[in-house]
Amino acid sequence: MSTVINASNLTLSYDNGEKEIIRNANFNIKKGDFVFITGPSGSGKSTLLKSLYGELKANRGNLIVGGLDLCNISNGKLQELRTHMGIIFQDYKLINEWTVAKNVVLPLMIAGYSPEIQETQAKRLLKHVKLSKYGDKFPLELSGGEQQRVGVARAMAKNPVLILADEPTGNLDDYSSNVIWDLMENSCQQLDTTVLVVTHKIPTVFTLPYRHFIIENKGVYEVH
Amino acid sequence: MKFIKNHLMFILPLMAILLGIESYLVFSRSTNTYQKNLIDDYSMLVVAKKPLELKIFKNLNNHIYSSKEIERESIVSDVAKGINKDDTKEILDELPYFYNLKLDSYLNSSQLDSIKQDLKSNANIKRVETFGSSYKSNYRLFMFIKFILNVFIIFMATISIFLIIKQMEIWKYAHKERMRVMEIFGAPLMLRSGILFKVAFFDAIASTILVSSIFFYLKFYWAVSSGIDMIRKNQDTLFRMTDIGILLVSSLIIVIISVYTVVFLNHGADE
Repeated sequence: MSTVINASNLTLSYDNGEKEIIRNANFNIKKGDFVFITGPSGSGKSTLLKSLYGELKANRGNLIVGGLDLCNISNGKLQELRTHMGIIFQDYKLINEWTVAKNVVLPLMIAGYSPEIQETQAKRLLKHVKLSKYGDKFPLELSGGEQQRVGVARAMAKNPVLILADEPTGNLDDYSSNVIWDLMENSCQQLDTTVLVVTHKIPTVFTLPYRHFIIENKGVYEVH
Repeated sequence: MKFIKNHLMFILPLMAILLGIESYLVFSRSTNTYQKNLIDDYSMLVVAKKPLELKIFKNLNNHIYSSKEIERESIVSDVAKGINKDDTKEILDELPYFYNLKLDSYLNSSQLDSIKQDLKSNANIKRVETFGSSYKSNYRLFMFIKFILNVFIIFMATISIFLIIKQMEIWKYAHKERMRVMEIFGAPLMLRSGILFKVAFFDAIASTILVSSIFFYLKFYWAVSSGIDMIRKNQDTLFRMTDIGILLVSSLIIVIISVYTVVFLNHGADE
């Protein structure tokens, strides 16, 4: 299976290298892998995720995502790479002045799909996350769990190569969390997408085989 | 209401800047006309021993634009009525040559004095009259009005720029989240800023139409019914169709600068 993410001696830090978060991390993630990254609060889970979508550049080492070296990537290439990713955030990051349907098809809009295709896909995606009746509503009219389902639908909109999720159930109750994990399992199976989830705790309801990395003392280690 | 309020917050300062630009255009045209009239009405009188050509005057000072010789015969005929032809010829031979000199621009009194000195340096020129006092007071009044208006325009533009910067801050926060999300999902700059551009372009066009309408009204309705002769005479200077283009281009430049500033301030900003 082809490699989707390859990190070698990856070092990440803030404040121009003064505040080191990750040191000399080495890992390899293949197509179709479902990966959990756990670790205590402030250990650098979200920082690592940010580096994977090019929000934070590595200080040292190499980080290859989708065949592109994120340490030496142009803005144009990074934009292009991001259109092949689906990203899910703890705080949903929905556009509140847009309807739910419009939020869901944002990746399609960016890719330049026609309004007709966007409309069809919005209906399909909202049906998939069981929010068919909410297309014309605005995000703030929805509960937290529902908003996160919109976030999941948006992340899956363009059948991405890679889905990155930052504490996707961090703000949700158990019931809503289970719904989200269920959706993510289904998506991974249906789309054969690589999924990388940052979370403080691996859900007990999870049934798919997965890989588990832990961040501890600035290092990233795989748990076997 | 919120829609109107949001737009007015940008339209009003933009209108203030456009009003300043249009006022400057109107005043420039009016002052150019006034200046041209002053130049046309003003001439220097030169008394010379010998006939002098324009080239000689221009060589003495390059501000001299034209020269016109005053008919000596008509002077003699005015002062020597009833005198016989021989005596008239004798007076004519003794009479110096008179010239009216026009200048190429509106000059201050020290520049006029300098021209006077240059002319006097020619041995054939006996006397130069510059009529300085009335010219000086007109010039001072003219420059004072111009100065006051420019100060007012600069003051208005400064206040408006601050209001626009304030509106840019509002835009920055209002569009920050949407632009960040779109950026994370790989939207190019033009798509991210598209909505902001639409809003700003709408405001630019609305401001241009409003300011043009004000001056259109002033030119075609107010000027006619004002009863002020000077305004009616200069009605044409109040508004011209080309002004719409100047105002539109100005407002679009302000809008493009404002939007791009907001876009770049939001680029990569952390929440």
